[in-house]
Amino acid sequence: MDRMEPDALTKTTRINMLLDFYEELLTEKQRTILTFYYRDDFSLGEIASEFGISRQAVYDNIKRAQQALEMYEAKLELLARHEQTLALTEQLEASLNTLKLETNQRQELQEIVEKLRSIDIMAGMEAIKDGSI
Amino acid sequence: MAVRIRLKRMGAHKAPFYRVVVSDSRSPRDGRFIEEIGTYNPVAQPAQVSINEEKALKWLQTGAQASDTVRDLLSKAGVMKKFHELKQQK
Repeated sequence: MDRMEPDALTKTTRINMLLDFYEELLTEKQRTILTFYYRDDFSLGEIASEFGISRQAVYDNIKRAQQALEMYEAKLELLARHEQTLALTEQLEASLNTLKLETNQRQELQEIVEKLRSIDIMAGMEAIKDGSI
Repeated sequence: MAVRIRLKRMGAHKAPFYRVVVSDSRSPRDGRFIEEIGTYNPVAQPAQVSINEEKALKWLQTGAQASDTVRDLLSKAGVMKKFHELKQQK
């Protein structure tokens, strides 16, 4: 209906990540509308009536803001790097688990793995715990 | 007034986590919702989806409108299929 993309979920997940990285670079209005649409999952119609503008205007705004996010990512690649770091950390941990190590050595290396992982997502994990999940 | 099922973003910076919530379309911004019917964690590999099927079906059958993203999730969890099957039985 509202979204043209084949998989709305994948799209939403990506835009929300891009928003986390680049929202400060958007205009106040772009940020607000993307937040409504992707973080709160409101429809074009709901946003339109909230702002008193047409659905088409909301759609155009979202389109443009999304393009801005993708442009920042194309130039800065913060999200790509973040994902790469997490993926490599996973790999590191997996190979670590195949090694024969002294207990204290393993502990030490495992701690470094945890630190690598926590550089970016520690706050997120805390929040998930707080939400009692 | 329309009741909607949406994906509400929780979690923190760079670590999104979603709740699937049922809310009134009139009270969009205050964050209140009627009921939580599931969660979605895209950070986990593979992504974790958990849906309370009974509640989801109950809301769909009473006419709650799922957003596109929620519909994707419910399809993945096999809830949409069940919903359509139930509909056809009637």
